[in-house]
Amino acid sequence: MERDSQRGRYVLKRILFVSSGLMLLLAIMFYLGLAIGSTGYDLFEVLEGLFFANQDNTESVAQTIIWQIRLPRVLLATFVGGTLGVGGLVFQALLRNPLAEPYILGISGGSAVGAIVGMMLGLAMFPGVAGLAFLGSIVTLIVVLFIATGRRLFQENSLLLAGVMVNAFCSAIIMFLISMTRNAKLQNVLFWLMGDLSNTVLEQTLALGCILLPCFIFVFIMARPMNILQLGRETALSLGVHVLGVTLSLLIVTSLIVSAIVCLSGLVGFVGLVIPHILRLVLGSDHRILVPASVIGGGVFMVGCDLLARSLPSQGELPVGVVTAIIGAPLFIFLLYRSKT
Amino acid sequence: MLVMIFSWGNYTVARKVQDQLGRNIVIPTALKRIVSLAPSLTECMFALENGNKLVGVTKYSDYPPQAVQLPKVGSYVNLDLEKIVSLQPDLCLATKDGNPIKVIDRLEELGIPVYALDPRNLSTVMETINELGQLLKAQKKSSKVVQGMKKRVELIKKRVAKTNSRPRVFFQIGSSPIVSVGSRTFIHELIKLAGGVNVAAGSVDYPRFSREEVLILNPDIIVINSMTRDQQILEWAKQRWSEFPNLPAVKKKQIYGVNSDYFNRAGPRLVKGLEILAGLFHPEMFPKAKN
Repeated sequence: MERDSQRGRYVLKRILFVSSGLMLLLAIMFYLGLAIGSTGYDLFEVLEGLFFANQDNTESVAQTIIWQIRLPRVLLATFVGGTLGVGGLVFQALLRNPLAEPYILGISGGSAVGAIVGMMLGLAMFPGVAGLAFLGSIVTLIVVLFIATGRRLFQENSLLLAGVMVNAFCSAIIMFLISMTRNAKLQNVLFWLMGDLSNTVLEQTLALGCILLPCFIFVFIMARPMNILQLGRETALSLGVHVLGVTLSLLIVTSLIVSAIVCLSGLVGFVGLVIPHILRLVLGSDHRILVPASVIGGGVFMVGCDLLARSLPSQGELPVGVVTAIIGAPLFIFLLYRSKT
Repeated sequence: MLVMIFSWGNYTVARKVQDQLGRNIVIPTALKRIVSLAPSLTECMFALENGNKLVGVTKYSDYPPQAVQLPKVGSYVNLDLEKIVSLQPDLCLATKDGNPIKVIDRLEELGIPVYALDPRNLSTVMETINELGQLLKAQKKSSKVVQGMKKRVELIKKRVAKTNSRPRVFFQIGSSPIVSVGSRTFIHELIKLAGGVNVAAGSVDYPRFSREEVLILNPDIIVINSMTRDQQILEWAKQRWSEFPNLPAVKKKQIYGVNSDYFNRAGPRLVKGLEILAGLFHPEMFPKAKN
């Protein structure tokens, strides 16, 4: 008993230590995200603008840009990164496959199909578009799992292959829908599909945060059962873990937050692959530590990628999904290669 | 709040106007800093000799040459909000069709008035120019510009009326896939005014065609519009049609490339586009115009 509580305190300490370290990193990234943009302001100027309200007119423009244009965007990037980071972690843990991730398994693609159908029907963002996106993600999740579990449960390659095929199918459906529509408003869809964080409003981002936070907490609470699941299904059952309940609830919650992200920012891939892998390498495999670390670390990564997307091109900007894919896809291949040898 | 009051102090008087979408906006009496969110509007501004008031334009605003020097605020569908705000405009000019409504809403939230214009055909382009003239207090100039446009259109109409030939025209705005123009577009109107028949007329604004569908339409003339920087694509598109020697347009050697800037931009230069088309359709009536 004594040893148990001691161990618990040690884990808590580690969680706090790791989280605050990553939070510091996030704060630095966040600050850079606020300070760098197409108009460019001095780093100190931004600091000044953040803390001292000035009635001077030129200063107010800087403040408008920082508070109303960059802040919602950086905040959204943090949320997107956190969601995708933890999403990848959950999928990898539950499917016991190091290469599982919402984007690669086609879950993001499925919710994009749902979202586009919603937009074409002219539905409101909430509940119409978001609801259909969630439905799309759940349907693809079921299809992928159904294909993959045909004979051998969660066999590594069959899961990935099922994901690849579902993904290909989803992108075909998306192209089909775009070709069929006469709605000029969907012109921007292709840009959005590559992951687009521009045009966010603070209220929308905060509303998203209100959905995400309880889900993150739920995943954190499930961290212990996730640890036990790593020991195998039978062991988990004998240790009193309700395997089916844990798996289903986590998959549904993850699909929910991923589809919410897709609605606002389009398809951003590979974050759920990059972040959990790096963190596992550094922090080990305790999910109680990995869950908060993936949320914060995902945020750090995403804000950084968005910064690159905004500042690399001399004119205009890249969709942020391009940046994450350029970093993530080679890593995926590397991991695939390593898992084979 | 303070900031708002302060910036209001700068304006001697503000005035309320209604834009072409019926939205009420408040703008300063004397407009000094304007951002144009479409190349066509940039052209209109310069045509009204108010180009000096522009502090920002979109990426492809390349006419007149002075516009190239101005700060760029992204492309017209993909606007750089931050850049626009940093230019501190007292008005943005937008088009209903091109600019995403999301960005327009955001600009207004940030306290920048947006005047939206919705030119759908040649006569509404002229109305738009007049309206801009009123907005900028350059009514004299705008009515002169519009009168000039009307005169040139009338001249074409008169000459076209003298001939009975109405060639069947296929206007190709995209080459892979092949895309043409339906009945509700500027180009359709220009083809008609120039004395041609748009074989792609129909309810779809930008219909796609397969090559065999075009062969069945049997056009006498194929007009391919391309940007000046895409000369290779134009050559390739012409080449592809020449593979069908039985097509009347190929037989008569009537496949032409035109500069898309005269046809895509809802500004004063549309009339130039009309003159080009009339020259292509009826070279006997417009010996000079043929390019």
